[in-house]
Amino acid sequence: MRTNYRINSGVRFEMFTQDQLEELFWGALHVLEYTGLDVMHEEARQILKKAGAWVEGTRVRLPNYLVRKSLEMAPRSFTLFARDGNPENDIHIGPGRAHFGPGPTCVQFIDIETQARRPYLNSDVPLVAKVVDALPNIDFCESLGTVSDVHHDLGALYEFAGMFPNTSKPIVAWSYDKYDSAGIHEIAVAEAGGQEAFEQRPTYVHYCEPLSPLITTSESVDKLLFAATHRIPLIFTPCPLAGGTAPVTAAGIIIPAAAESWMGLTIAQAVQPGLPFIMGGVLSVMDMSAMILAYGAPELSLMMAGITELAHYVGLPLWQTGGCTDSKTFDAQAMIEGSLSCYFSAMTGGDLTHDVGYTESAMTGSVFQLAAMDEAIGYTRRITRGIEVNEDTLAVDVIHNVGPNGHYLKEKHTRRYFRSEFWYPNLHDRRNFEEWEMMGRTTLKDRTIARVHDILVTHNPSSIKPETEQVIRKVLAEAEARVRA
Amino acid sequence: MSEVLAAISTSVIEGNLNDCVKLTQEALAAGMAADTILDNGLMPGMDYVGVEFKAGNMFVPEVLRSARAMQGAMDLVRPLLSATGASMTGKIILGTVKGDLHDIGKNLVAMMCEGAGFEVKDLGKNIEPDAFVKAVKEFEPNIVGMSALLTTTMRSMEHTIKALEEAGLRDKVKVMIGGAPVTQSFADQIGADGYASNAASASEMAKKFAKA
Repeated sequence: MRTNYRINSGVRFEMFTQDQLEELFWGALHVLEYTGLDVMHEEARQILKKAGAWVEGTRVRLPNYLVRKSLEMAPRSFTLFARDGNPENDIHIGPGRAHFGPGPTCVQFIDIETQARRPYLNSDVPLVAKVVDALPNIDFCESLGTVSDVHHDLGALYEFAGMFPNTSKPIVAWSYDKYDSAGIHEIAVAEAGGQEAFEQRPTYVHYCEPLSPLITTSESVDKLLFAATHRIPLIFTPCPLAGGTAPVTAAGIIIPAAAESWMGLTIAQAVQPGLPFIMGGVLSVMDMSAMILAYGAPELSLMMAGITELAHYVGLPLWQTGGCTDSKTFDAQAMIEGSLSCYFSAMTGGDLTHDVGYTESAMTGSVFQLAAMDEAIGYTRRITRGIEVNEDTLAVDVIHNVGPNGHYLKEKHTRRYFRSEFWYPNLHDRRNFEEWEMMGRTTLKDRTIARVHDILVTHNPSSIKPETEQVIRKVLAEAEARVRA
Repeated sequence: MSEVLAAISTSVIEGNLNDCVKLTQEALAAGMAADTILDNGLMPGMDYVGVEFKAGNMFVPEVLRSARAMQGAMDLVRPLLSATGASMTGKIILGTVKGDLHDIGKNLVAMMCEGAGFEVKDLGKNIEPDAFVKAVKEFEPNIVGMSALLTTTMRSMEHTIKALEEAGLRDKVKVMIGGAPVTQSFADQIGADGYASNAASASEMAKKFAKA
């Protein structure tokens, strides 16, 4: 029997010390307590005042005990459920578990047939969802675009209506306003079999964004209140730009980002104690020559690692970012930036890593970037899974039996482990030159395109209930009537 | 009959040595001909394994387990085949050439060829040209297979072919070569009959040569 034996089962990564984390933590609390945020929502200000905040016009300052109490109420661990009950598609959020999915709201899209860049269309939504459903390392769904060919207020609703029937993986849903939120929720509740059933097994997460620097917008609170009231797990994620809407330093951007997210947390926990809350946001640099938020910058991965550690320090899961690129096309830059940020995000245990499949600095969604990153994530996950050390894996007896001059190909030990110990690529080519040549000298890009096309022909996501289909039609009809009125 | 043969095929595919041997024994005891068992039971199983391996659904350790099951049955079937005059797929001798001690690839070729129904004589590693010549005289194979990992030992393949020529045996055998630094153009240059880039294509090429 082993005594006092320490085990590390995976690859570890740690950036800050406890001292540094404490400094970041109290820095954010200081901003919330002394600077305060502008909360542009009357009801939210009242809720906060009642909870113990100081309110002066729109400026709200939170005493640190109130934030710490709210942090304590939010769970570190919870489950997002597959809508069809398939446990393989559930997401268990908790320490040491990184999950991946696409991002929302790109304006442009890489056409799946022609690979041309053009506006994102309603007909793209089911295709993205299907690909998400099929890719083994993509865990949750977003649409990779804002639908451009429906009424401009209804893009988010059509998006959810297109995703929900085409993947059973949990969805992260954004919305323009509380009407969208209500429509989306009606669809999910119909499938779950009622509000209470949904609360017990939530199938989607509601996503809202405050505005940097230090503004809690009215629409974001509308949506937050809707989510909190209906017990929908909530992401509240700012998107500060280092040097633009946040301090230029990596430490300096983490503090307002945390403060902005924790204002949302405090409102949400006051309304619904214990609501699953996922801290944001997306942190990167404003490129000082191109003037874009750089999605492929090393600082993105670094700052995201920093805020992830802070989130875990305070006991919250984090909305991570990775698999994205500033490149305009499927090229080496896209693969370097995407793969390294996936790897880094996994190393930090980023709870939900989004924006996989973003290209052109989040302007263009690409299902091909997404499918290639599925491979990078698989590769990454083999590394983060680490090395298991025990009597059987050490194989000292096998080494003894084979001895010098033998080989291991026929060993039972080899057969027992070769599938689980090795990662088998789906897209990467390991054949010898002659076979590669015989198979048409394909590149990663060729194979990625072929895989996406193959998925769209062969993959059938589980279907939703017929009554949910009716609810979707009803919700869309009502929304159309509302915007036309 | 087909039920027994199907079960033999399955035991090969699953790599179940005990079942494969037992089923073959029972089939022989029931009076089934050895060549029927080989052609309609063992070989179809191994062919299926080959197809699945190529498709990426089966992997080397599983192919070798199947080959081992097949070999177990072949030990029973082989003496009866030679007694009736029915032939095996063919005979092949293999060796890693002089100066080279790397033999994992050659071992794979040996196991794949055994799985394909060949009678394989593995000479081992660091094999002198003369030792190849001696083995060809004794064993009378259809095919001689040589492997090398090092660019420095590749030339020993050419010396072996020369030695076979000098002994008057070159036209009695097909010569196949392989190994990481070996190429088709090198094979052409030294007058080998074939080059295979991996163990699976080596056993396929051997089958073609044996039929020719």
